[in-house]
Amino acid sequence: MQDVTTRGAGAATAPAPRPTPGRRLRRALSPLLWLGPSIVLIAVVVLWPVIEMVRTSTLKISSSGVTLGSNGTTNYSDLFAEDDLLPVLGRTLFWVVGTVVVTMVLSLALGQLLNARFPGRRVVRWAVIVPWAASVLMTALIWKWMLDNYSGLVNRVLLDLNVIDKPVNWLAHPDQAMLWMMWVAVFVSLPFTSFVILAGLQTIPRDVYEAARVDGATGWRTYFQITLPLLRPAILIASIVNVINVFNSFPIIWAMTGGGPGHATDTTTTFMYKIAFYDQNVGESAAMAVVNFALVLIMVLLYLRASRWREEVR
Amino acid sequence: MRPRTVILTGVGWLVGLLFLLPYLQMLLTSLKPENELTKSPGTYLPSDWKWSNFVDVWSSQPIWQNMQVSLIVAAVATVVTLACALPAAYYTARNRFRGRNAFLLLVLITQMFAPTALVIGIYREMVALDLTDTLLALILVNAAFNLPFCIWILHGYFSSIPRELEEAAFLDGAGRVSALTRVTLPISMPGVVTAVVYTFIAAWNEYIVALTVTASPNRRPLTVAIPSFVTQYQEHWQFLFATSLIAIVPVVILFIFIERYLIGGLTAGSVK
Amino acid sequence: MKRHLMGAMAAGLTLALGVSGCSKGSSSGDGDSDGKTIKFVAAIYDDNTKGFWDGLIKDFEAKNSGYKVNLEMVDWTQMDAKVKTYVQTKQVPDILNYNAFSDFARDGLIYKAAEVVSPQVLSDFTPTFVEQAKYQGEQYGLPFISSARLLFYNKDLLSKAGIKEPPKTWAEVRTAAEKIKAKGTIGYGLPLGPEESQAEFYSWAMNNGGGWVDASGKWAINQKANLDTLTFLRDLTKAGLTQPNPETTDRKTVFNQFAQGKIGMAIGGPFTREAFINKANKDLPFGVTSLPSKSGTEHNTLGVMDVLAAFKKADGKNKDAIAKFLNHFYQAENTSKFLKLEGFLPVTKSAGDALSADPYFKQFVDALPTSKFAPTGNPAWSAVAGAVKQSLGTAVANENPKKVLDDIQKTAEKSG
Repeated sequence: MQDVTTRGAGAATAPAPRPTPGRRLRRALSPLLWLGPSIVLIAVVVLWPVIEMVRTSTLKISSSGVTLGSNGTTNYSDLFAEDDLLPVLGRTLFWVVGTVVVTMVLSLALGQLLNARFPGRRVVRWAVIVPWAASVLMTALIWKWMLDNYSGLVNRVLLDLNVIDKPVNWLAHPDQAMLWMMWVAVFVSLPFTSFVILAGLQTIPRDVYEAARVDGATGWRTYFQITLPLLRPAILIASIVNVINVFNSFPIIWAMTGGGPGHATDTTTTFMYKIAFYDQNVGESAAMAVVNFALVLIMVLLYLRASRWREEVR
Repeated sequence: MRPRTVILTGVGWLVGLLFLLPYLQMLLTSLKPENELTKSPGTYLPSDWKWSNFVDVWSSQPIWQNMQVSLIVAAVATVVTLACALPAAYYTARNRFRGRNAFLLLVLITQMFAPTALVIGIYREMVALDLTDTLLALILVNAAFNLPFCIWILHGYFSSIPRELEEAAFLDGAGRVSALTRVTLPISMPGVVTAVVYTFIAAWNEYIVALTVTASPNRRPLTVAIPSFVTQYQEHWQFLFATSLIAIVPVVILFIFIERYLIGGLTAGSVK
Repeated sequence: MKRHLMGAMAAGLTLALGVSGCSKGSSSGDGDSDGKTIKFVAAIYDDNTKGFWDGLIKDFEAKNSGYKVNLEMVDWTQMDAKVKTYVQTKQVPDILNYNAFSDFARDGLIYKAAEVVSPQVLSDFTPTFVEQAKYQGEQYGLPFISSARLLFYNKDLLSKAGIKEPPKTWAEVRTAAEKIKAKGTIGYGLPLGPEESQAEFYSWAMNNGGGWVDASGKWAINQKANLDTLTFLRDLTKAGLTQPNPETTDRKTVFNQFAQGKIGMAIGGPFTREAFINKANKDLPFGVTSLPSKSGTEHNTLGVMDVLAAFKKADGKNKDAIAKFLNHFYQAENTSKFLKLEGFLPVTKSAGDALSADPYFKQFVDALPTSKFAPTGNPAWSAVAGAVKQSLGTAVANENPKKVLDDIQKTAEKSG
């Protein structure tokens, strides 16, 4: 998270003058010893299902779930023939970009706020953590409940304030529903991202600001010229984790609108689930999963390229 | 107080309240009698404060068992993740070797997979391993899918710690492992805490794999148990939210302790 | 030194395995080869369901020593996903309580009814339901419970609006809804959300000569009668005579509002009184009448049936235990106890009379002979129902009804 200086990390394992075969073997094996457990865990629990998923996407699976043999690329052509696919893809992009941008902007502000000194700061920090401690599903359900057309708190408050004159069925209209769900996604993302930003802020040495003040820099200029650049690693980590989580988010949409009406609030994740369990087409759903993964891969790689990730790890 | 502080305090408290508002509503809903929940327009406060909801909920479903399951899964998954992530992150941060970039790329790509997208594959695998309806399946899945983030964050911390500190320890005759445990690890506590918290919460929240992999009611975590309070023919929203609160409060308290430590550790950790 | 750390990690992992290993309990009973232990997956209908099965199984195990039934209760909202993964991963239960069976029959997964219940039980099923439980002429499904739909109306709201008789025709429904709306409440409660829009729609379409298939059994979802039905419902919605947004409304929302006297009319089932009305307002003055039809002459009723299906496993070794358990359940006192507890209608002749004693239930029992069912014997039905659930409601909102029906027809033809 901190700014990683490109110190020559290799220097420590300076090669011994004349490695004997035994030592060379030990040196070659030593990474395995340290990395082994991770590699095994990833291979067994993550890569296996991935391969299984890719394989499933080429199989013909009956509506009851019996595998009937190979299906070639039919699952993929069926998927691409879905009228709803393009709108769903577009919406997914909007959902991810919108949620992540709003989350990052808000958490930069929130990070500053939580870093500033004021009475009760600790309690406010605790309050901000709560949505992280509550499961996303629970938070999505309470928002759904508050937005209920008939008994929801939101309608009650707006009615009492005379902002609206009859209840608004918030989650029934696709556009409103989408915005509300994005708000919930932002709401549950904020604790993590703003704490990463807060941690980033605390690593900025005070004397940097002292120096800036001596140079006569003030307020916003200090922020944009000093704070923000130094926060780059924190922003990078927070936003990538956020992109991946938001892209794969299932409980919020599933609990609040189920992707409906029709497919009007589906993202690729809920769409995939509906293909399997409403349309009874597991093969096509697996094809959607593969496409879904390709998308997130492209998105993250583009992002990393743009933000020059390699410089951060070296 | 200076005007700046006054404004900050006001904004700060307002933000805090905003974050708590949904959970306050959760509390109020959980205290209403069931037949009041469908009233329209909704009521602000319960007409009859049914504290007994919090008693009745325990007998309506085995939520105590569900909580234990959630706790065991989250705790053990966190331990497993840490046990795998610590050495990997440390080694990649301190050494350059063939395959280092390949490993880091693998970690990054793994990070992009979510269990949601792979749930059918995961289920097929668990059947092949004869692990369906076991907590081990949930532990493995949660440990593996949170591993990348932990490696990543720990890698970042280890890289940022000047190796001079360790070299001093080396000179004292310590080996690499004791340099790690005696010098590097204590300084990296903020990173470790973040990794622990992240994994624990992610495992605590996991829904879709638990939904598919577990079957017996006494092996279901809370996330799976909770939605079954609201079904086609009946809606026990008051129980649903009561259980949610019962689940949220201990984690928030845990967080409150850790936050103190995390922030304290963070400030102490900025050696640069 | 390194070994130390690795050792500690190994210990940690072993601990992890140990902890969870211990908690793997009785569930591995499915693989039993003695054929005396069976797994039964039952659907949760309400809070009482589990208690009923626990009691029944205890009784069964006491009377048949050596036999064991492992019960798993699954909520309806999670059922489809569960069933699919069971079959995919070859982890099927021995007996499943579900709302579909024909694709299992097509794929050769389940026993024929005659193989797993005694001739007495077999002959006790009401013929209407036997027809619904057949796939290609053979009975596979075991009728479990049934239900029928009728029109519920609020007597107060109707009389306040000056309506003396509950509506019989579509035109009367519309007029009644207009008058009720004029008094400030919702005329008709139309649940076309993803929960069960196929049932609501079919309740209307069948009373206009429409339906899912034509006389020859071919899919006819985009037929004119259906389009007219959907257009009628759309017009009701657009005129503001229904609750807002039928396309996202589920039945429970409609009946929660009906129970509070805020909706004039809605289509409900036998369970409606216990599950919704009594909970909110025991004194609600409501009446039940036949489903309105376009012409007003003939009134069909929507019939719904859930089944038990017995899966082939372990080369047929499980057949004996399954038969013992099913014959036990289908004793009249057990079935009627279940029906009464849950508010459903009988599928056997012997359990029939008990329910007719209650005038409320009698209306539904009496309506059963005129009931029409969804084509559950067609293996493609679950995919069609899925498509209907997802998209039908959008036709009363922004989509074109014709296009919605055409799309569902396409899905149906693709699925077979």
